[in-house]
Amino acid sequence: MEEGSRTENLQVQNCRARLDHLESVDAENLSEWNNVRFKRILVDYMLRMSYYDTARKLAESSKIEELVDLEVFQEAKKVVDALKNQEVGPALAWCAENKSRLKKSKSKFEFQLRLQEFIELVRAENYMRAILYARRYLAPWGATHLKELQLVMTTLAFRSNTECTKYKVLFEPKQWDFLVDQFKQEFYKLHGMTLEPLLNIYLQAGLSALKTPCCFEDGCTKEDPLSQENFRKLAMPLPYSKQHHSKLVCYITKELMDTENPPQVLPNGYVYSTKALKEMAEKNNGKITCPRTGLVCNYSDLVKAYIS
Amino acid sequence: MELNNLKDAFDRVAKKQKLSCSKVQEVMDQIVQEIEKAIEMMQSTTLDHKSILAELKKKLHEIAPLAQLEGTQKELNIALSKYPKALEKTLNPDISKAYRNIEFDSHTVNQIIAGHFYRQGMFDVGDCFITEAGEAEAAAAMRSLFQEMYQILEAMKSRNLEPALKWAAANSDKLKENGSDLLLGLHQLQFVKILQKGSREEALKYARTNFVPFAGNHMAEIQKLMGCLLYSDRLSESPYAHLLSPTNWDIVAEELTRQFCNLLGQSYQSPLSVTIAAGVQGLPPLLKFMTVMAGKKQEWQSMKQLPVPVELDKEFQFHSIFVCPVSKEQSTEDNPPMLMSCGHVLCKQSINKMSKNGSKTFKCPY
Repeated sequence: MEEGSRTENLQVQNCRARLDHLESVDAENLSEWNNVRFKRILVDYMLRMSYYDTARKLAESSKIEELVDLEVFQEAKKVVDALKNQEVGPALAWCAENKSRLKKSKSKFEFQLRLQEFIELVRAENYMRAILYARRYLAPWGATHLKELQLVMTTLAFRSNTECTKYKVLFEPKQWDFLVDQFKQEFYKLHGMTLEPLLNIYLQAGLSALKTPCCFEDGCTKEDPLSQENFRKLAMPLPYSKQHHSKLVCYITKELMDTENPPQVLPNGYVYSTKALKEMAEKNNGKITCPRTGLVCNYSDLVKAYIS
Repeated sequence: MELNNLKDAFDRVAKKQKLSCSKVQEVMDQIVQEIEKAIEMMQSTTLDHKSILAELKKKLHEIAPLAQLEGTQKELNIALSKYPKALEKTLNPDISKAYRNIEFDSHTVNQIIAGHFYRQGMFDVGDCFITEAGEAEAAAAMRSLFQEMYQILEAMKSRNLEPALKWAAANSDKLKENGSDLLLGLHQLQFVKILQKGSREEALKYARTNFVPFAGNHMAEIQKLMGCLLYSDRLSESPYAHLLSPTNWDIVAEELTRQFCNLLGQSYQSPLSVTIAAGVQGLPPLLKFMTVMAGKKQEWQSMKQLPVPVELDKEFQFHSIFVCPVSKEQSTEDNPPMLMSCGHVLCKQSINKMSKNGSKTFKCPY
């Protein structure tokens, strides 16, 4: 009783802290608030990939324990560790705890767990026990999942080192990894989390928004994340970004050119910002040298360009 | 952010939860009390046990614990069911709508994250991460690169400039190529530090040995520093008081970080932070688009260019993009921007269209 109320109180505290945090954003602390969001995204990724120690260290070092779900993932850890050890006990207990909600979402996770246990009995050649098990636990699912049930029941006729591909795949240890993934998906759905890590969602959006054909050229500035091999690899299948207004960046000052600092065109076709060209002219008696081609001309030869 | 009705809904839930909790406690206490009374009676008197148990049963029925608990539980459930509805109205429940189902290679992502931790100086978190993720070799290289930088910065925090000066002197020609004043800045800080300790001669000696190469370009700075010598014991009241300010140290530390990263061939800001920040700005328009275009999931997965323009802040603009004001298309190698004699710029295709492939003369649309 006490433990139940303790967990409830903890949840209430966490919810309240999160609401306060959401409300606290305003113009002054924006960059710090964004920093906290970034840390939250990283902790979420760590927890989903089962890197629990890193998640805890990160959360403690940034003092965001109330904003992330460390405890919730602790119960997931138990189930995941057991499944990795090829035990279905904790997973079945979790299913029993959340029976009503799993039923509402028409989840067949429990069925898959039972199937796997059945296959393990067949692998150990405990045929009688396997049949009894099937009668007790698999039969109720027969109405909705008949085909799968039939497929697995046929394994009774084979040995675990069978060469027949259709049934060989059921005996592979990879099935356990599949169960772990399945559990994670059910777990996220139950707790209202997105099915993909937050990190991936934001990375995709960011990479797409930053991706332009210029990023893949050699002269790409190092400040652009897409100049790095890792990011380029991730961004390959993503769409390019789209713009509706021209944005020209001056080669000399690396600043944006706009109506206050308009672009000027040299006789050789290269374009730089008025600010940079004026500065150059003042230092050199009104003469301009194009940094990319070396052409020398007068400031008076330049033509202002209007781009929007 | 306007969260008032959310907060109200949540306060209601919290109140009901407290109520339900205390009610449960109360009822349990009552039951325990009755049972203890019955046990006492059984032990003390010689009354027949059956009748005592019957009494107990009657009493427990009167208290009707189940009914009470059910009542508070129902109220809690009602409040709990209203809360998510309020949540969904104010906040967006599913940000994965704009996600494309492509596999992100987890090794690449882990390497990026490890690199990020090392470059932010979070060495212990980074180490813990690579042990758990099993990415040892690739990330180790990043670690050693940035460890040197953080050692220098740590020393600077405790006002020790030796490692910084050594590094800057070793890389002085590359620094000069980049046009950086780092070495002068470091010498300046060291000079002021010596002067603050009060030893004028030592400061003068330091200046003589180290300021000579800068005399050519930075005479004004050196003159100011020489002026400080006059005020060696009252520097805080002199016109040069600003040289004592700790922000000077921060400015030089930032310049050091910038140059260090530059010489390593890395960007100044962690690329992961930049991408996530761009994603934070870019996600809302994409989500809006997806909610409107609910049915077109297939197209979304395979398009070559984003369907909506995503406006990012200035700091994310790394490349020049020209968009023709007439056709609203981005210019490419085959479709370059062309300058007209009036100064307006259009893309080649638009100009061709307007002049029917160079045959007619045409008027600038502005």
